[in-house]
Amino acid sequence: MYKALGIRWFLLLTVLPLAAGLIYALLYSLGLAGILGNGFTLAYWQSVFAEGVVWRSLGYSAYIATASMSLACLLALGLVIKLRTAFQKGILSYVIYFPLAIPAMVAAFISFQLLGKAGLFSRLTYALGLTESLQSFPDLVNDFWGIGIIFSHSLMAFPFLLLLFLGTYEGERLGELKQIAKTLGAGEGYISRKIVAPILLKQNFAAILLYFIFVLGSYEIPLLLGREAPQMISVLTIRKLQRYDLLDKPEAYIIALIYCVLVLTAMVISLRRSKILQKN
Amino acid sequence: MKPNYILLFILTLLWGCSGPNASSSTDPAKLSWEEIVEQGRGGVVQMMMWQGDPLINAYMQDYVIPEVKSRYDIDLKLANGQGNTIVSILAAELEAGQGSSEIDMVWINGETFYQLKQINGLYGPFTDKLPNSEWVNHENPFIGTDFQQPINGMEAPWGSVQQAIIYNSEMISEPPQSLEELASFVEANPGLFTIPNEFTGMSLLKAMLMDIAGGPEAFKGAFDEGVYNTYAPQLWEYLNRIKPYFWKQGETFPAQLAAMHQMFASGELAFTMSMNDSEVDNKVLQGIFPESSRAYVPAFGTIRNSHYLGITKLAQHKAAAMLVIDFLSSPEAQLKKQDPTVWGDGTVLEVENLPEEIRSQFENLPSRILAPKREDMLPRALMEPDPEYMIRISKDFRKFVIEG
Repeated sequence: MYKALGIRWFLLLTVLPLAAGLIYALLYSLGLAGILGNGFTLAYWQSVFAEGVVWRSLGYSAYIATASMSLACLLALGLVIKLRTAFQKGILSYVIYFPLAIPAMVAAFISFQLLGKAGLFSRLTYALGLTESLQSFPDLVNDFWGIGIIFSHSLMAFPFLLLLFLGTYEGERLGELKQIAKTLGAGEGYISRKIVAPILLKQNFAAILLYFIFVLGSYEIPLLLGREAPQMISVLTIRKLQRYDLLDKPEAYIIALIYCVLVLTAMVISLRRSKILQKN
Repeated sequence: MKPNYILLFILTLLWGCSGPNASSSTDPAKLSWEEIVEQGRGGVVQMMMWQGDPLINAYMQDYVIPEVKSRYDIDLKLANGQGNTIVSILAAELEAGQGSSEIDMVWINGETFYQLKQINGLYGPFTDKLPNSEWVNHENPFIGTDFQQPINGMEAPWGSVQQAIIYNSEMISEPPQSLEELASFVEANPGLFTIPNEFTGMSLLKAMLMDIAGGPEAFKGAFDEGVYNTYAPQLWEYLNRIKPYFWKQGETFPAQLAAMHQMFASGELAFTMSMNDSEVDNKVLQGIFPESSRAYVPAFGTIRNSHYLGITKLAQHKAAAMLVIDFLSSPEAQLKKQDPTVWGDGTVLEVENLPEEIRSQFENLPSRILAPKREDMLPRALMEPDPEYMIRISKDFRKFVIEG
């Protein structure tokens, strides 16, 4: 009885506002809501599809999220496998929590101060005579490959993943499992690649996926460190929402809708698959 | 049983949305100034303004707020937000059918004025009620017309400025005066110049477009598709030709002016720009820009415009907002604001008509050092074209130059 009531309230407070928002966005995009709406029209949808910017933006966002999460996972896995004991006691076991407290805007700013042409690394290479001038330092922020964005996101994600992996390592008794594998004659590298890494990744699949979606929709970091084109999906949406042309507003709602539908679909499919995987 | 809770919850939410909220006070348009003072006294005024500059914030916090408190017992409260934020909030309030607005008073200029007129979000006309409106130089086309739109009493002029290009005189001895000189400059010094993809950058593009068209005459009046289509492609062709020599090889452009200012301060760029011709003096005084910074107006000219104060249509305290705006238009407040150590914002008053004493104070203001004198910039001033030019330039700059 209480459980059912709790679920109802949960749905009421989470799903209902989201659904109401999506319905309003849909109405706005069709010219049925909003102060400048003039009745039903498909013109905004046609213009979004004709322009194609939204697909490039989604592709770019997916690239950034994949690269950031791969790097962060690799780094976290490497540390768990090689330096696990160092993070379980002593100073590192505290320090590892600090990066979790850094807001995205600050992380972006730190990256800018480190990687920019007038940043710390550039000044160092200049002082060491490796670069001729500040301008000749390579483009690491506002760059084509999104290096600055990926750097910031990996930096923020890896401590979080590291803590998750450490927890799983204990919970799944991977230490004991390793011992058994060893007595059966498996080498260190084989154990890491075939036993530890797959178990850690599989057990934390849902958390990694959710973080992936967080990176996909991130705003502050790509706003400061990204380029004007292509833009990540949130930056593109806000631009459409806030630039000089009020008639662009419905397009912002359309982009937000497309993004929501894609993410929700992908999430449902992947979480289902991961449950099936875990059962097997 | 259970769904009733949900129904109750939704009803509670809806109830909260539809409270009777209409303001009980009389429309100040029907009142005399004395009655407006009476009605406005002791009120609370919510003002939304851009708060990105410490000097401007200090002028408001340390001078205007105490003054309106002591004169009219008004509590002036500031909220941060400009252009699009203001439009979004007011549009949302109107869309929701709200009876009154959270915001009484806004600091705006041309493109926001245009958008607020699109959504019918402004109260007025009100400026002829203000006693200090007498001193305002409405005849000056740079003040009485906002982006080719007559202000018609719907917004009160507050300050008048001209775009200035800021450069580092240690890196550049003779700054470029024409589009050809700019082209040869960037070719010889790659990476030091760029155009911010925001309001200030778009204003520079307007000036360049007018230069390509042989002068500002073609841009008078309403937006002209023919004029735009004739000259804009030449501007994109010009920019695409020289952009490989821009910052980051012209593959991207700064999204905010603040980022460009920072790169100018750190020496990564040799240029930045400002819509306030006094900003270079401000920024050097604050120690943000290098002392070798200078401002100038290239021979092809720059946009000169004014910024304004408006009252929102749903404002709860219109009379009090009018008292604040009248004070901000007073010779005293305008004098203080024009002081380069305070803010350095150009006055909108016709100084020659002012009483002798205050006039001489205006004439004796410490002058700025790093930017040219106002009267020397005026011959190179260009009027803001219709807001539609801004919208088109902004879209096409992205389409043909950034993504092109």
